[in-house]
Amino acid sequence: MGKTFVFILISTLSVIVFLTCQTSKGIKIVQLPVSSDPTISFRIWFKVGSQNDPVGKEGLADMTADMITNGSTELNSYDRILEKLYPMAAGYNGSVDKEMTVITGRIHGDNLEDYVQLFTDAILHPAFKQEDFDRIKSNTLNYLEKTLRYSNDEAFGKEALYQMVFQGTPYGHPETGLIESVKSITLEHVKKFYQTNYTRDNVVIGIGGGFDKVLVNRLKTSLETLPPNVVREVEEPEVEPIDGLQVTLIEKNTRSTAISFGFPIDVHRGEKDYYALWIANSWLGEHRNSSSHLYQVIREARGMNYGDYSYIECFPNGWARQFPPPNACRRQQIFEIWIRPVQNAQTHFALRAAIRELQKLVDNGMTKEDFNLTKKFLKKYYLHYAPTTTMRLGYKIDDVFYGIKDHLKTLPKMLDKLTLEDVNAAIKRHLQYKNMKIAMITKAAKSLKKALVSNKKSSMEYNSPKPPEVLAEDIEIEKYRLDIKEDKVKIVNADDMFIR
Amino acid sequence: MIFKCLSLIFAASFVCSGLILANPPEGIFPYKYHEEILSNGFKIIVIPMESPGLVAYYSVVRTGSRDEYEPGHSGFAHFFEHMMFRGTEKYPSHIYDKHMTEMGADANAYTSDDITCYHLNVSSEDLKMFMELESDRFLNLSYNERGFKTEAGAVHGEYLQSLSSPFFALREKLLNTAFDKHTYKHTTIGFKEDVEAMPTMYEYSKTFFNRYYRPENVVLLIVRDVNPTSTIDLAKKYYGPWEKGYVPPKITREPKQKAERSANLKFDGKSLPILSINYKSLAFDPQSTEMAACMLMGDLMFGRTSDINKKLVLDEQRVQFIGANFYSARDPKLLSIVTMVKKENDIDNVENEIYETIDHYQKNLVDEKRLNDLKSNLRYGFLMGLSTPDRVAGRLTRTIAITGGIEAIDQLYNSIDRITREDILSAANKFLVKEKRTVVVLKGR
Repeated sequence: MGKTFVFILISTLSVIVFLTCQTSKGIKIVQLPVSSDPTISFRIWFKVGSQNDPVGKEGLADMTADMITNGSTELNSYDRILEKLYPMAAGYNGSVDKEMTVITGRIHGDNLEDYVQLFTDAILHPAFKQEDFDRIKSNTLNYLEKTLRYSNDEAFGKEALYQMVFQGTPYGHPETGLIESVKSITLEHVKKFYQTNYTRDNVVIGIGGGFDKVLVNRLKTSLETLPPNVVREVEEPEVEPIDGLQVTLIEKNTRSTAISFGFPIDVHRGEKDYYALWIANSWLGEHRNSSSHLYQVIREARGMNYGDYSYIECFPNGWARQFPPPNACRRQQIFEIWIRPVQNAQTHFALRAAIRELQKLVDNGMTKEDFNLTKKFLKKYYLHYAPTTTMRLGYKIDDVFYGIKDHLKTLPKMLDKLTLEDVNAAIKRHLQYKNMKIAMITKAAKSLKKALVSNKKSSMEYNSPKPPEVLAEDIEIEKYRLDIKEDKVKIVNADDMFIR
Repeated sequence: MIFKCLSLIFAASFVCSGLILANPPEGIFPYKYHEEILSNGFKIIVIPMESPGLVAYYSVVRTGSRDEYEPGHSGFAHFFEHMMFRGTEKYPSHIYDKHMTEMGADANAYTSDDITCYHLNVSSEDLKMFMELESDRFLNLSYNERGFKTEAGAVHGEYLQSLSSPFFALREKLLNTAFDKHTYKHTTIGFKEDVEAMPTMYEYSKTFFNRYYRPENVVLLIVRDVNPTSTIDLAKKYYGPWEKGYVPPKITREPKQKAERSANLKFDGKSLPILSINYKSLAFDPQSTEMAACMLMGDLMFGRTSDINKKLVLDEQRVQFIGANFYSARDPKLLSIVTMVKKENDIDNVENEIYETIDHYQKNLVDEKRLNDLKSNLRYGFLMGLSTPDRVAGRLTRTIAITGGIEAIDQLYNSIDRITREDILSAANKFLVKEKRTVVVLKGR
């Protein structure tokens, strides 16, 4: 057995040619051949997401994908599928974002034949058995009722922020759904959703690694058997303008407070301002990196929490990943700041510190020194975004979504092209600090509200002496005016979140 | 072919100098690697692998929370992981950070029971500068009490953040219940009171560093697309002056457990009940058929294709999931089965189903095909994970921390290949017995 693998995964350096073509029945195929890769990666993209959930049936897209990837097919029961995948150490997953559903899989070439049979069968012939549905629905409800609200305050805070910003739009609920909606979803709803959206007019095939033409043709022929149906495009979410700082304090018994805040931005990959903001945001809050300025101010200098970051694109599961996942493309993004949990008593100070830094960036722009350093950083750091075939394939799919040529290649080119003036102008155009939505998962919500709306000084107490420059800055931070109006602060019990 | 030739050359030099080794050709690990031990005991392992300009640079400290043997000092290995980013006299933290930023490094670290690992991915062209920075902080770490106390705040924040997870709370309770003397009694982040007292431990922190951050206790693993000789030469230059002085921890051996233990835990949040059933196991030994049998046993009995998974998860849907972690640690730890039960009044029944499963495997030989499927799963799972230098390195670190090298990978998979149905039956009867058991039940509010 060992010999079979001697040549495994030797190279990812082979010449990579991206190919995009269209089949006679209109299915777009994105190919990323890497001949030396002994594995083959699949990303089958259906142009449907949680934005397509009918009102009152939020969570339907997610549950449908779950039924496909975690349920039986007409040929095999689910336990039989697991048994067949087991010796290959393989599986397939469905990921549902606001606008995309992607069924992903990866297999060693030794097991290709058996795997492709199972993989395509799952997409083409799901059995939609009641017992699978009951299991998946129960798991989904457990996640919404317990895990999300009571086991991971950081995820809770982020979901709450997105719900607040996109309230009343098709983006305005977690992909997993809302508790009452999920309860009301039946197997018939799932079947209908599948029939409407999993069609040959709505699919893009992505394939990467050591595949050949035979496999491409086979996939194409298989997916062309899906029924035709052009899915009506969901309109881009129209977000209500934000007036001032609007705060939702989500109350629960917690020893620390998770904070997320932000506002919509109208910037997308492919646009010059996107790359300008990419630089600015990297400086302000590169995800889980000590180069983040917010990290330096809140964690490094003051030891208040575990990290502090900012985003110009959504970053699902940020607490568990170092780099952004592909296939979470959205026409409407938000600018977001994520303050990891701070001690309850330091919440007000942490919020002030973060907004103050954002204000400084907006008002003053980046310095020449920071700009040059960040460009230098990103020029190498972006190499970590997609080191594997499956990740690069994901980015190719994203390129199709955004209608651009090659995002990963554009990144370094734009670093060479953009000037400090470009970046600072983009900051002025797209970032601000006066009109934002703020979500906090906290304990003593009433007293926090009182402190927030009164602009009460939030003195910091440290367990160790701090340098004079930090203490001098603290004086500025603790009295920094947020000017939050009383009617803009809402207190919600954690038990009441994500109900309907 | 090139790699094969190189390995032969280096195998020959091993005979002459006793310094350079190469892995045997028939093992599962597909890459030839090169290893050198400096006179101060520092080991360097270089694995040549083509990659798009990236180097995986892993400093494996063979110390984790296991080595925190002094009362009142649990959590220090993890805390020290934080301190290692606080800089040196030559490269204070803001200068270190600036260099790391300029290099676009993906730098991070983690700590667990048997390891503290500093893992970094940088561009190949920056290796020299990077090695200077990394070696400097291992040889010359310098921080003042103020920085130390500030970092204690960040660690406390991390502890508070962990508390919102029922699985963390369960783990904390389980270890405290299952162990009396051994340092596995506490979680990696440490006892709450010790975490809170960390700001007062500045002096002790220096003792900790001087004791464990020594060349004999650290292995440098580099995976990159170059000839290893120049990389090893570079490492000699930077790590050669590091003074020996490792002091092994005085860990108390855990007395033999003589009776079943149990605990209940009320979680201050909402959660489905979690049932955790654990058995004292044996230390990691890649050549031990018994240990390999234990490792396989967990998946055979409670994995995704097991009968009990089909019954409780898929058919009767009484639990949200069931799984087992039967991997061994440096010292004897726990074989753990965990399940999330949907109804509180069903916990006892589920517990009995688990015991019946164990009983079945204690009396009956496992199906031959399932055993072979599992062996295939482990091999493909291991190999499909080796897709980048970072992932290759990441797959090896725990083995390096426990054994000091990567020979154990091939040894372990050879042991797995040898496992028979009888070995599984024998291990089930030896280890999965009541007197070795600790059961913890967590219930939400």
